[in-house]
Amino acid sequence: MPDFQLHHRAALAGVTAINGARIRLTPLPEGTVLQVLGAPAEVGKSGEIADKYGFSVRKNGPADRFWVADQPVSSGFLPEISAQWPELSVVDQSHGRVRIAIEGDAVEDVLAKGTGIDLANFEVGSATTTLIGHIATHITRIAPDRFELMVLRGFAESLWHDLETMIREFI
Amino acid sequence: MTSYRLSKGGQIDRATTLPFTFDGRSFNGHGGDTLASALLANGQQLVARSFKYHRPRGILTAGAAEPNALMTIGTGGRTEPNTRATVQELYAGLEARSQNRWPSLSFDIGAVNGLLSPFLNAGFYYKTFMWPASFWEKVYEPLIRRAAGLGKATNEADPDAYEKAWAHCDLLVVGSGPTGLAAALTAARSGLRVVLADEQPAFGGSLLSDTAALDGLAATEYVARCVDELRSLPNVKLLSRTTVIGWYDSNVFGAVERVQKHVAVPASGQPVERLWRIAAKHAILATGAEERPLVFGGNDTPGIMLAGAMRTYLNRFGVAPGRKVAIFTINDTGYALARDLEKAGVDLVAIIDSRLQSSVPYAGKARVLRNAVVTDAKGGQALSSIQIKQDGRFQSIDVDALAVAGGFSPIIHLACHRGGKPVWSDEQSAFLAPDNLNGLSLAGAAARTGNLADCVAHGSTEALAIATQLGKSGEAISVQVEGDLSGRVEKPLWSIPDNSGKAFVDYQNDVTRRDLDLAAQEGFGHVEMAKRYTTNGMATDQGKLSNINAIALLAEARGVSPAQVGTTTFRPFYTPVSFGALTGAAKGKHFQPIRKSPLHNWAVRNSATFIETGLWYRSAWFARQGETTWRDSVDREVLNTRINAGLCDVSMLGKIEISGKDAATFLDRVYSNGFAKLPVGKARYGLMLRDDGMIYDDGTTSRLAEDRYFMTTTTAYAAGVMSHLEFCSQALWPDLDVRLASVTDQWAQMSLAGPKARTILQDIVDEDIADESFGFLAAREVSLFGGKLRGLMFRISFSGELAYELAVPAGYGESVADALMQVGEPHGICAYGVEALNVLRMEKGFITHAEIDGTVTPADLGLAKMVSATKPDFIGKQMLKREGLSDPLRPRLAGLLPLDPTQGFRAGSHILSKDAAATLENDQGYVTSNAWSPHLQSTIGLALIIRGPERHGEEVVVWNGLYNEFTPGRICDPVFLHAADEKPHA
Repeated sequence: MPDFQLHHRAALAGVTAINGARIRLTPLPEGTVLQVLGAPAEVGKSGEIADKYGFSVRKNGPADRFWVADQPVSSGFLPEISAQWPELSVVDQSHGRVRIAIEGDAVEDVLAKGTGIDLANFEVGSATTTLIGHIATHITRIAPDRFELMVLRGFAESLWHDLETMIREFI
Repeated sequence: MTSYRLSKGGQIDRATTLPFTFDGRSFNGHGGDTLASALLANGQQLVARSFKYHRPRGILTAGAAEPNALMTIGTGGRTEPNTRATVQELYAGLEARSQNRWPSLSFDIGAVNGLLSPFLNAGFYYKTFMWPASFWEKVYEPLIRRAAGLGKATNEADPDAYEKAWAHCDLLVVGSGPTGLAAALTAARSGLRVVLADEQPAFGGSLLSDTAALDGLAATEYVARCVDELRSLPNVKLLSRTTVIGWYDSNVFGAVERVQKHVAVPASGQPVERLWRIAAKHAILATGAEERPLVFGGNDTPGIMLAGAMRTYLNRFGVAPGRKVAIFTINDTGYALARDLEKAGVDLVAIIDSRLQSSVPYAGKARVLRNAVVTDAKGGQALSSIQIKQDGRFQSIDVDALAVAGGFSPIIHLACHRGGKPVWSDEQSAFLAPDNLNGLSLAGAAARTGNLADCVAHGSTEALAIATQLGKSGEAISVQVEGDLSGRVEKPLWSIPDNSGKAFVDYQNDVTRRDLDLAAQEGFGHVEMAKRYTTNGMATDQGKLSNINAIALLAEARGVSPAQVGTTTFRPFYTPVSFGALTGAAKGKHFQPIRKSPLHNWAVRNSATFIETGLWYRSAWFARQGETTWRDSVDREVLNTRINAGLCDVSMLGKIEISGKDAATFLDRVYSNGFAKLPVGKARYGLMLRDDGMIYDDGTTSRLAEDRYFMTTTTAYAAGVMSHLEFCSQALWPDLDVRLASVTDQWAQMSLAGPKARTILQDIVDEDIADESFGFLAAREVSLFGGKLRGLMFRISFSGELAYELAVPAGYGESVADALMQVGEPHGICAYGVEALNVLRMEKGFITHAEIDGTVTPADLGLAKMVSATKPDFIGKQMLKREGLSDPLRPRLAGLLPLDPTQGFRAGSHILSKDAAATLENDQGYVTSNAWSPHLQSTIGLALIIRGPERHGEEVVVWNGLYNEFTPGRICDPVFLHAADEKPHA
């Protein structure tokens, strides 16, 4: 067998972070995204497990969470989790979902160009799937002026280009 | 040249001079001018020609309802026809051109149409120009169209940006006049989130034109005080230059903000227009009322305008309407104008009052003619005199400007956008909005006639009521007003007899009172019929000024009340909306999202030509040097794959992980064939039916663990199947423990097909994949590249060859594809695209959604065995038993070949029995797929044909009526390449 060097290509490898005065747009590392499914009660409690392993949790419905981290996990991690918590179904989405950070004091004005969510009532920690323009995007408020957008890998470049247009007046 | 700029007064910025042109002539205006006010200030009263008769037209209004002063502004890609000069803000360098005239505005040959008016009256196209019949389309209509019309759109691309945005609020206030300001302030002070939208660049509405004093302040100072407070509140969003255009479900309002329509060259980064979707818990329409024109002869002569408009030009823009002015009024507002004109030093020569007495004192210099009407206006291109009838006697007065005050119609359009019909009020002599509108109320002049103080109080109390509903409290606002002459409802004056000239009702579409009488006489008196017969209200102004007069005149003609005539339907948009605003940013490369495969860059590097499949960009073929047509590439890819091996990107297939302890039961219910007993490590082809028994989708599902499955769907139905499964899980069988996750984007998936596929794969797969250890339909996780990567491998084939599908984490897809091409090179591997994939599958009679077209059952496609007879139930089972679905005459799958291999046929062509006429009755079925088979050196086709499987060998005719093609053909087995049948199992 030839000794191949495998290269990981990030979905947003071709873009550069944008630092504007009122808005910043950054591709986040393609670390780990796990989709955790199960009965609502079990999924609701899974935050403690996520904390234990250093993941941040994003709600995605009553029976659905995303655990995210900037670093990848080992190949043995999923079997380990599945064995310890068989009531949860943990699906690796680390390559299927791409995360983008958008932040700055104009962030609500920018996102209002794409989503129908009432962002003034979307508190820190809130998350949902919405449309940014024409692209389905999972959106989480990380801080008052910072959101994380998570999108299907195939749409990542397209969403980035749409965001570039949306932020133009604030950079 | 009679109108002129006053030496003082108005809210314009006299220190700023703005040069502009109209029909090539240079003028100057000031900051704060509209194009209309600037034209009037320069004495340009003739600004347009009418639609049908090319009559000279002037400026009638000072707002959005303007039917006359439509002109083309801008140049190149920024050309914008039919712009209302009354709402277009002036900017330095603005270029405006009049429309629908030749050779010039003042000398327009088209005015000859006026002489032809006996032939162009209501319904003329139904009863004249009828003979000879062929002339209508070839001669009459083109000529009429050329003679009539509005401005012309440019063919150049619009260089500017547009965008859309959402806003949310507790209360949307539409209109910022006295009512709207009071409503917004009351609501904002109570703590509600408020959006205040106004179509003008400045807030204040009618107050900007008023000379009354509120709370001891000039109206404009009162406005400034209110706006300053609103700006200071964090819970208020102020949207000026924003027209609310529609009211939609869920209390969402559409609004267009003209962000940069008032500048010559828009700043980059900002849109020129922004389409707002405003989600409001409640809305107050404070849209005011539209003044009605009066219908007398020559009422369209330049120099005649609505009294409120004249007051606006006078008080807001410092423009005098003429040197000798008259006012024709039916109410007291005419006297407010008289007071302001005389105060400004304008010579007011007469007030013609239709009433016996006014309710306000008048001590000015003008003659007051009571119980009098204007019957005609004279002057052609500029008003020169008016004919007055008083007490049965006629007299003429020389004037160069005439204001008409015909009463008011509340502006209720938005309130009727969701199906509500206006209701006639005898008390108000107007159509009002229907009651009990959920989430919307009307206040001020939009709701009822009242004076300024009433408007403020009404706006405030309505807002307070809403605040209370939403759990807030506050105080109502009231003001002390001085100098206000508005507020009384007067008897309307619909018809004025004894006119000699044309009396226009719909200015924009040149509909006269006589046209409406004719419509009623000829049996088209119903409001909807009259609209279509006369075209009244059908122009771009949507009858804002004309509808009420038309309804009243129809009522008079029919001898009924306006209530019995009713109104036509009010629909969005309230004012014209540009396509740019509706499109937003979705143009050019942003027209629709692009969905890229993880192998996209690999395909680019291998010279792929892409085809859009939904939003996906799929590689269609991979051209090599020397290949001159796409067929060259596809034929090579097909032949090479069957001889050596081919690599195809199938990442875009839908992929769904299904887990949970009831996953097997779940799959048994959604598929027509059995899955519960599928062994771990195996894949199975499955058919999903709809409730009606027709096939919904097909694909393979693999069992990766006892309670974990991996489903693939077709590319087109990936999202649909996911939604279907979610519905089944959540709504049909919530008792089943099933978890669903779309993993389409997680995996880069490659099909490696051909006799050398195993040899090539074995070079990167760590475990033994010989037939004994990885047999046909094996499916499991595999280690790759010496343990560097793990993937999923499936031994399935869509080409009839020995084939595998390898899924790897998407980020490594490109690298793995490179590796496969590298290790496959000595074995002759090639990349192949979706075109070759299609040929390969057709040669083997495999189906896609070309065959699964929503009308076929499993049996129709020869897949009856995939319908389980033993499962207790599955989706589609019951309806599949319908008699008609087992009718032997149902079209069923068959193959099709042309008798002459050099001839082709197209998908969609129909099958006729040999020698049968090409009729619907003789239709035997249709071609679902076609391709050129390089192996058979012939076009091949799959078709759904009546009794198809029983007619192999029969000669037929493949008929395409669109192209008039008749191709002799033969029905055959849908599997064209039999010899290699065993290859997938090899």
